[in-house]
Amino acid sequence: MVQFLFLVIAALGLLTALGTVLARNLVHAALFLVAFFFTIACQFVLLEAEFLAALQVLVYIGAVAIILMFGIMLTRNIQGDDTTIVSAAWKIPALAAGLFVFGILVFGINNAVAPAGHSPWSESNMRPSIATDAGSSKATAVRREAVNNMARTVGNELMTRYVVGFEVAGLLLTVALVGAIALAHREEAEPDARSRGEQPARRASASPQPQAAGPSLVSSGTSPPR
Amino acid sequence: MASDIPLNWFLYFAAASFSIGLVGVLVRRNAIAVLMAIEIMLNAANVNLVAFWRYRNAPPGAGPLPGVILALFVITVAAAEVAVGIGMILLCYRRWRAADVDRYDSMSG
Repeated sequence: MVQFLFLVIAALGLLTALGTVLARNLVHAALFLVAFFFTIACQFVLLEAEFLAALQVLVYIGAVAIILMFGIMLTRNIQGDDTTIVSAAWKIPALAAGLFVFGILVFGINNAVAPAGHSPWSESNMRPSIATDAGSSKATAVRREAVNNMARTVGNELMTRYVVGFEVAGLLLTVALVGAIALAHREEAEPDARSRGEQPARRASASPQPQAAGPSLVSSGTSPPR
Repeated sequence: MASDIPLNWFLYFAAASFSIGLVGVLVRRNAIAVLMAIEIMLNAANVNLVAFWRYRNAPPGAGPLPGVILALFVITVAAAEVAVGIGMILLCYRRWRAADVDRYDSMSG
């Protein structure tokens, strides 16, 4: 039953990934990408990481997909969407590269050499049990706590063991936010610096004499933009 | 649970998704489509991380959920990358009036 569920979700995930890659319309591609993110969230649920599934929905579907949609709509191609895929001469090498990487990965998965004391990957057909009666080893208890109470465990881990990574991630997000704003601001400020310099002058001169269009133009022409 | 999902199935799914994302990066011409394909690849890697966390025993001293924390950081970095990437794509769109990666041929001006 679980296997059947996994197969359905994996098939849906691969189909939506293919749709993202192959759809000619970029908006359709973005919607396929949302579906793909959702199938990944379903995979996380199958892996008993429900906290990560919720985070996946919130961050990817809620934020990343919306940002991508904004980007698509702000940069719509004037000559249509037919040019979003490169010429056929590029398709064959790209497909070959993809199949080659897939073959390498499958070969590696099938022939992985396990470290000493562990069974190889291909033989781990069952996940470690977290049932309460399955032998009260300490690792089982730790794993059960992590699975059943993942949000609390993630918080504890982020504040103790991974606190440096946590801080660096916060710094990275701050830098990304400031950088995105700086990028988007400069491209708006440079082309029409004249009109931006003009606007405060007009507003300042509007209160004494509302009909004074000439002095405002003169003042904007002589004063530097900043 | 006698009929659990084998670990290999998750790995195969992640490998296939990663390959599809790679083909997308190589095939698409639009920069935002390339960004979406990169997101597919990052998500495939995340599935691998969580699958290994759930199916394999962590080395001693790694804490209760090393794979999940790493997946969390990957999500964070991907979000930051998309924010900066969209900003740069918009900047390039203003410069070249196109979002095609083969149109971007200089870094100055």
